[in-house]
Amino acid sequence: MVKKTGKRSKKDYQGGSTKVNNGSQLKRVLENGEFAVTAECGPPKGADPEIVRKKGELLRGNVDAVNVTDNQTAIVRMSSLAACALLKQAGLEPVLQMVVRDRNRIALQSDVLGASALGIRNLLCLSGDHQVFGNQPDAIGVFDLDSMQFLQVVKGMRDKGVILGNDALQTSPDLFIGAAANPFADPKEFRVVRLAKKIKAGADFIQTQCIYNLDRFEAWLSMARDRGLTEKVFILGGVTPLKTAGMAKYMKTRVSGMDIPDEIIRRMEGVPKEKQREEGISICVETITRLKELKGVNGVHIMAIEWEEAVKEIAERAGLLPRPVFGEG
Amino acid sequence: MAFMITAEQKPVEEIREMIAPFKRILVLGCASCVAECAAGGQKETAMMASALRMAARMEDMDVLIEEMTIDRQCVEEFVIRLDDVIGSYDAVLSLGCGAGVQAVADMYQEIPVIPALNTEFLGETKGQGLWVENCLGCGDCMLYYFGGVCPLARCSKQVLNGPCGGSVDGRCEVDSEVPCAWQLIIDRLTGFNALDRLENIYPPKQWSKKQGKGPRKIIREDQQK
Amino acid sequence: MNGNYELTLAVFYCQNVPGSDEGERRILEKKYGKALRLFPLPCSGRLDPVHLLRALEEFADAAYVVACPKGNCRYFEGNSRAGKRVGKTRELIEQIGLEGNRIGLVYGSKENPETLSYQIDKIRDGLSELGPSPVLKNMK
Repeated sequence: MVKKTGKRSKKDYQGGSTKVNNGSQLKRVLENGEFAVTAECGPPKGADPEIVRKKGELLRGNVDAVNVTDNQTAIVRMSSLAACALLKQAGLEPVLQMVVRDRNRIALQSDVLGASALGIRNLLCLSGDHQVFGNQPDAIGVFDLDSMQFLQVVKGMRDKGVILGNDALQTSPDLFIGAAANPFADPKEFRVVRLAKKIKAGADFIQTQCIYNLDRFEAWLSMARDRGLTEKVFILGGVTPLKTAGMAKYMKTRVSGMDIPDEIIRRMEGVPKEKQREEGISICVETITRLKELKGVNGVHIMAIEWEEAVKEIAERAGLLPRPVFGEG
Repeated sequence: MAFMITAEQKPVEEIREMIAPFKRILVLGCASCVAECAAGGQKETAMMASALRMAARMEDMDVLIEEMTIDRQCVEEFVIRLDDVIGSYDAVLSLGCGAGVQAVADMYQEIPVIPALNTEFLGETKGQGLWVENCLGCGDCMLYYFGGVCPLARCSKQVLNGPCGGSVDGRCEVDSEVPCAWQLIIDRLTGFNALDRLENIYPPKQWSKKQGKGPRKIIREDQQK
Repeated sequence: MNGNYELTLAVFYCQNVPGSDEGERRILEKKYGKALRLFPLPCSGRLDPVHLLRALEEFADAAYVVACPKGNCRYFEGNSRAGKRVGKTRELIEQIGLEGNRIGLVYGSKENPETLSYQIDKIRDGLSELGPSPVLKNMK
């Protein structure tokens, strides 16, 4: 099944690369009807490029694309753009995450052009965690654009070859545009409306917040289907393997927008400490297996925070390997 | 009495450091906004002056500290009433908001005017002893579109196309004491049967109306003599 | 501590506190002489905290409020508001390095309402370790 992502098609591009193998691999996988796999890579709190390369190696061959986070939790890390460039150099497919918290519209648009110039073909437009959570709480939160407006701006740059205000670009960026969605957030009745808006604004693909409560996820997905949204956007369900029962409980009570059923907590607590990672991975694999069966879910986004080694095992056990490789043309 | 701006007193230690070099200090209160939020009105000014006098006495410092409160420190017509007395002092400790401190400082440029308050926000008196920010002074009011709830002043991330997805039980993820502005907007618009107003994507804000080219100015010739 | 020193106390009292009528007041004034100054209030809630500060500034080693029992204020919240304001004023004097207990507020007890005289003795006992105010040391 080849999904139509809105009215846009390749011939609407006004610029960007026309070589097929220079386009987004993630897009190719999804448009070919394959169940896509992405994973997350957090850049280091330092200037060492080797760390990024090592993480890349752990993920090579196990995923279609690697999301690189952007100063997540408002903690200063190597820039996402730089880390993406390093991964690209190493022959991996990055997904650049960009938050609107730290940069105004000038810097955002500029980085979009820069990313495309570096061969980065996937962009995830996000709000970003509030600066108060991180290690620079006195920083100003820029929030010049919100994530919705940012999506619109990037789409305008790619499809119309203009920046905000309609000045023409010499060359449009070539980017597969993504947004985040949280099926578990408040207010619940509004989540699907928001999803519709993001698609209208320019999202080609969506990565969701990590899923533990599959019933609730299915309810959200069903509402999205009813509105015809699953025909308009690729959805990758987020999953995060739990390392410990403590982590599960922490996430349940202290992280907003997360829904972890008691059943999951019980399972994690029910096994001895040494076995908890194993159990966490099993739960993750089961979730992916269920996601694969759902109509409207086109892939999985594995967020193994500081546990990139687990991605290979998860992908293997969930029957996601090997990843498809596309030749020229 | 119009109430707009809130402020809180600086720690007394900080104030004392700033006034330390001076020997004849006028502690100047303001009967408007800062009186409303109990930071710099006549009462607070009297208390501050008394406390400062006692502190000076405890350290054997010989300093004159007198207090006075005027109607509004930010209006030239009221400030000018200090003409007769200002010459007796070598510094003014102002319990006005930042606007008041500067108005007085501009009027009497030879005398240092020292702020005793930290000016905070534009807001409302929500209840006794409770003031909350609700306006950023953005210069381009969109309250109509958001059912009378400002997503710039009241949403921690200034999202114009919200909600962001981080709220829990209608509370902001940044501070659970803060109601999620977008939950309020959605509830409000639902009440007006106007939720469809949120189907549009609101375009980027024109921040130039807030930031402009330096301090903003309003000129009304019809109001001038 | 100087054995000759007697604390000068300013007391702002609610006129609804028992044992505070004219006659009793005169007895108290005679008993303590210069060591006590009394200021009646129609309700402790009418206290303007600046009066506590002025008392400390001008003559008092300590300035206290005697209020009616909690829940028994004739004007409902007057006494609790007074308590909060005194608390805030205490913070202010602590910021200038004065001992916080130089000012305070005592509530009567609902079950056994004490007289003004009793409350004053109790306050003075509580301040027995308190030395003369450093604010007044340079005054004649």
